[in-house]
Amino acid sequence: MTDDQTDSVPREAPALELRGVTKCFGPVVACDAVDLAVRSGEIHGLLGENGAGKSTLMKVLLGLVQRDEGTVLRHGERVEIPTPQAAVALGLGMVHQHFSLIEPLTVWENVSLGEPGRVKRDEVCDQIKTVGERYGLPISPTARVEDLSAGERQRVEIIKCLRRDPEVLILDEPTSVLTMAESQELFEVLRDVVAKENRAVILISHKLAEIMAATDQVTVLRKGSVAFRCRTSTTNPRELAKQMVGREVSLGTEGAALGLISEDSTPEEVQAAAEETPAAAPATTPTGEPTTPALTIEDVVVKGPDGRTLLDKFALTVSPGEILALYGVEGNGQATLGDLLSGLLEPASGTVAVNGATVPLNKVGSLHKAGVGVVPEDRHRSGVVLDMSVLDNLVMTDLGRVSGRFLLKRREARKLAARLIEQFNISTPSMDTPLRNLSGGNQQRVVLARELAGDPSVLVAAQPTHGLDVGAIEDMYARLRAAAARGVAVLLITTELEEVMALASRVAVISSGRVNGVLDIHEATAERLGMLVGGEAA
Amino acid sequence: MIGTEEITTIVASSLRLTAPLAFAACGEYLAERAGTQNISVEGMMLGGAFGSVAVASTTGSATTGLLAGAIVGLVVGFIHGNLSHRVQINTFVVGLVLNALVLGLTSFLIAVSEFDSNQVAQVNIPGLADIPIIGPLFSQRWPMYLLLLLIPLTWWLVERSRWGLNLRAIADNPQAADVTGLKVNKLRRQALLYCGLLSGLGGAYLATAEVGSFNMNMTAGRGFIVIAAVIFGAWRLKGTLIGCLVFGFADALRLALPALGFELNSQLLVAAPYLMALLAMMLFASSNREPRALGKPFVRGIT
Amino acid sequence: MSQDAGGSAATAGGSRRMPNIAQLMRPSERSVQVALITFVAVAVAVVASMFLVAATGGSPGDAAEALYTGSIADTAAWSETLKAATPLLLVALGACISNRAGVFNIGQEGQLLLGAGVAAYVALHLALPGVLVMILSLLAGALAGGLWSGASAVMHYTRNVNIVVSTLLMSFLAIQLVSFAVTVPWILQAPRASADSIASSESAQLPPEVRIPGFGQYPALEIGGGLIVSIILTIVLAVLLGRSRWGFRLNMLGLNPMAARHAGVRAPWLGGTALALSGAFAGLAGAIILSGQVFRLQPALSNNFGWDGLLVALIARSRPIAAVPVALLFGALRSGSSFLASTGVPNYLVDIVQALLVLAFVVPPVLAKVRSRGRAEATPPPAEPVPASTTEPEKVTA
Repeated sequence: MTDDQTDSVPREAPALELRGVTKCFGPVVACDAVDLAVRSGEIHGLLGENGAGKSTLMKVLLGLVQRDEGTVLRHGERVEIPTPQAAVALGLGMVHQHFSLIEPLTVWENVSLGEPGRVKRDEVCDQIKTVGERYGLPISPTARVEDLSAGERQRVEIIKCLRRDPEVLILDEPTSVLTMAESQELFEVLRDVVAKENRAVILISHKLAEIMAATDQVTVLRKGSVAFRCRTSTTNPRELAKQMVGREVSLGTEGAALGLISEDSTPEEVQAAAEETPAAAPATTPTGEPTTPALTIEDVVVKGPDGRTLLDKFALTVSPGEILALYGVEGNGQATLGDLLSGLLEPASGTVAVNGATVPLNKVGSLHKAGVGVVPEDRHRSGVVLDMSVLDNLVMTDLGRVSGRFLLKRREARKLAARLIEQFNISTPSMDTPLRNLSGGNQQRVVLARELAGDPSVLVAAQPTHGLDVGAIEDMYARLRAAAARGVAVLLITTELEEVMALASRVAVISSGRVNGVLDIHEATAERLGMLVGGEAA
Repeated sequence: MIGTEEITTIVASSLRLTAPLAFAACGEYLAERAGTQNISVEGMMLGGAFGSVAVASTTGSATTGLLAGAIVGLVVGFIHGNLSHRVQINTFVVGLVLNALVLGLTSFLIAVSEFDSNQVAQVNIPGLADIPIIGPLFSQRWPMYLLLLLIPLTWWLVERSRWGLNLRAIADNPQAADVTGLKVNKLRRQALLYCGLLSGLGGAYLATAEVGSFNMNMTAGRGFIVIAAVIFGAWRLKGTLIGCLVFGFADALRLALPALGFELNSQLLVAAPYLMALLAMMLFASSNREPRALGKPFVRGIT
Repeated sequence: MSQDAGGSAATAGGSRRMPNIAQLMRPSERSVQVALITFVAVAVAVVASMFLVAATGGSPGDAAEALYTGSIADTAAWSETLKAATPLLLVALGACISNRAGVFNIGQEGQLLLGAGVAAYVALHLALPGVLVMILSLLAGALAGGLWSGASAVMHYTRNVNIVVSTLLMSFLAIQLVSFAVTVPWILQAPRASADSIASSESAQLPPEVRIPGFGQYPALEIGGGLIVSIILTIVLAVLLGRSRWGFRLNMLGLNPMAARHAGVRAPWLGGTALALSGAFAGLAGAIILSGQVFRLQPALSNNFGWDGLLVALIARSRPIAAVPVALLFGALRSGSSFLASTGVPNYLVDIVQALLVLAFVVPPVLAKVRSRGRAEATPPPAEPVPASTTEPEKVTA
């Protein structure tokens, strides 16, 4: 099963070792006899697609979840990790993403959160300054977290972790909120931390490029068990991809899903690869003549509840049949745009027009009526009602279609739902099952099915593949392409460069709430995009 | 004719009527800063009132009664905490049912019992007590001075202590706090215990320091006024207490005006504090400072 | 992934899907569990109440007998039970509407009394044929209740005032308002019997022609017109909530307001009208008590019907049809309680029993859900935690 390529020379015991760790949730085996050895002085990559068991494994290490079988060893000695505090005491530190900072609190309060004992403000502030200086992570201890940028927040997370003097740092998908430049900085800090102080780092990622660039040792998880482990220098992306998925992977859509595109591949290479898979080419209008844009967003300004500008004279057009990717680092206004197009908020100024007709944004539901379908970023929040059935979720945006003046027409609704379930391959015991019981991928299919069933002119897909496994991702890509081929204008909001490369015919970069450049896919190199994302002109 | 004597009386009366509110308000303030909203404050106060009178009568000591009242409030808080933040029943439903249960129980028990009247001792600070207008501040039943200690204690607990930091964290973002290792629901239950303790104390004060006995439903909606006060105070202790003072003052006026010769409609006077609370909420209810996770249940892993 | 017991495939040919009888007849393990725990909980509630009676010197047997005699022993008792159940059912129906929408109205007591007050005014002052006056007074009562709770809705959707607190405060105001009205001759106070008698705090009696008619006559079984109205409304509401567009959207709003908004639901409108409707039902209940049962307005008319109706809705889980038997139960308890006094047991015992019953019905299902979640140690956590957009650092400086 595995390809153990560790040195034959006996070394000191690993800083952290897992042997045969198994964790089940009911019938689902999340981790299956996992062996993992992390040595000091190394950055160890943990690679696997979504659902492979990486998160569960880390939760075991952090005391959030108890393992069913197996042992955890620290420097060769068995340890137990019943609580998060125990994990900290054992020298295990997690740098979380945007899940563990409390916004109204200050940096120092956040840093000292979760510790026992009295609140020692001055001590903590001093420590923050010291740690910040040592690792090149300057941050003001008295700033409020809600005022910080994403990169600064990550600094707070890192400082919070480092301050407890961990032997092993665990970073979970750290670069999703960072620009390329910030990612580089992060990896330098990690190298520093690891080399100078002989700590260890576990870097969890599903991006091959990142693993190749930043790690010394890599372990690949597939469906809960270890599929492969080796020194990073001795392997290549294709091999890793194959191990991750369990079969040969083409550079096309699957490659994109796996983050296989490196910064060096040119768009031509990607497009050529994409064309390997049938029905893959993004649609273009046959005659090449300019048509009325399906979606026109002009000068939209949205302010947050505290006055901050979230969208700053945002302007964009999407033509029928094209897939326009809106690319940028998280936190630059994408969520706001998604909410706007979902009809969840009104702009302070600006207009949105569909097929040339301005949509009255102050009327609830007007965008949907005008033909804008949305697959939202957070489907639990605004896309579905978890406690309603699959049937209900499939018909909820277009009740008029399945009802008379007052009463719903049950039969019609069930017919429609059955058709959609089959068409979109939604796997569910019955259409009356509560949506809560479906897997993430299937819930996403329900949303897509419903929005497309409304025959929209525009489909907005915000991070549509977040949290899905490769199979579901491929399916989503195929459907997006199919929709574009039918003439729907697809606006793909994404933070994954690979997705942009694989799907889009044009890419717009969003930075600080405005569009910082629109490129044809042929002109879009990773470099140019990187600069635009960082706020500079390219 | 309103002379200093009348004003002094009104001030004294205001303070006395504010005190039960203030006790409970400190409790509910902390609870809401922790992200829990409990309409069972009414039940906590009523239970506290009854408990204090019952125990004071049986033991002969009003002070013991006071303590007992606080404990009854604590028990109500314990039940609410476990039903809402362990068993995960909607907190409004729990509050409603607890209020009904406490009302029913106390009404039932008072109908079958005979209690002696017991009041806690009054403490006068000589000299100061005679100053006009503010004199009454120094001539109060002793639990009032306890209140004056509880106020800064509550503030310190919320803003400066480790516990308060944790409470404020779970009030804003329970998921994040959970990941950091804080036990969200346990902290919420603890906050409810504090709320129960102080609200029970407030009710006990009403019964043993103010009135001296228990009447059916004697809290008459004060628990809800307290909640309105927290909202009015924009979730800051100072504002909350000012709110309590305003409502206490309105209550005092209601009692004083007829004596002063103003013939105002009695229903209007009774309605005045409630009306004022409504107006206060309309004018001052700003959601900016409202704890983000206020009233929302927390279950790990399900967003 | 199919765990269906009756082969209910959700794929093609759905229009002729047979109802899954097998599933209907074999309740899932969990609902059996819930029913069992509920039964135990109810038994505990009853036993605890008995214990309370015994502990305070009463006789549980006598108390139980009194309750029985007063509630269902004979047609007279049944008449009283049905009379009591009517406003309870109406209030509960209103609460079903607002609860479904996610709006928690607790001001029914005041809305009910206000409805009665306005109905009394109309009934006593309108010079039109009796039947017409009766109908108009009922409508006026409903309207009054609806406007009163509607005011809370306005406060909430414009000024963001907490609905729970505002409906309650408005309730207190309404009670004072009505109390005031019956002390003032030019509104509702009954004229004095003679120059020497004291003016009472109540209204004049409603003349017979404006009262709600019914079937039967006490002590034989008496079924008031109000009860019939309530039953009709129950059926209408059940159909609307279960099968209409309005009901569907109401459910959506209550379960996920953001998704509802995306689907085109205007929360202030739908939620606001739901709140107004629940007040209207309470007002109607008050009007029916006035015109069908007591025929005279007194401030004590509301008699906790508002509070108890709310509890009925909670036990019935906001389902109109389920509210009927629960309202009957509470009605029985209420009419039985009037017989308790003779046994020396205060009739507040019934309030205690009611509260315990609510707990008995509300706790078990949630308990079962929590336990089944705990058993699987939560559902397998989503592969990637979906970032809650509210925590996203959407910071862009202008």
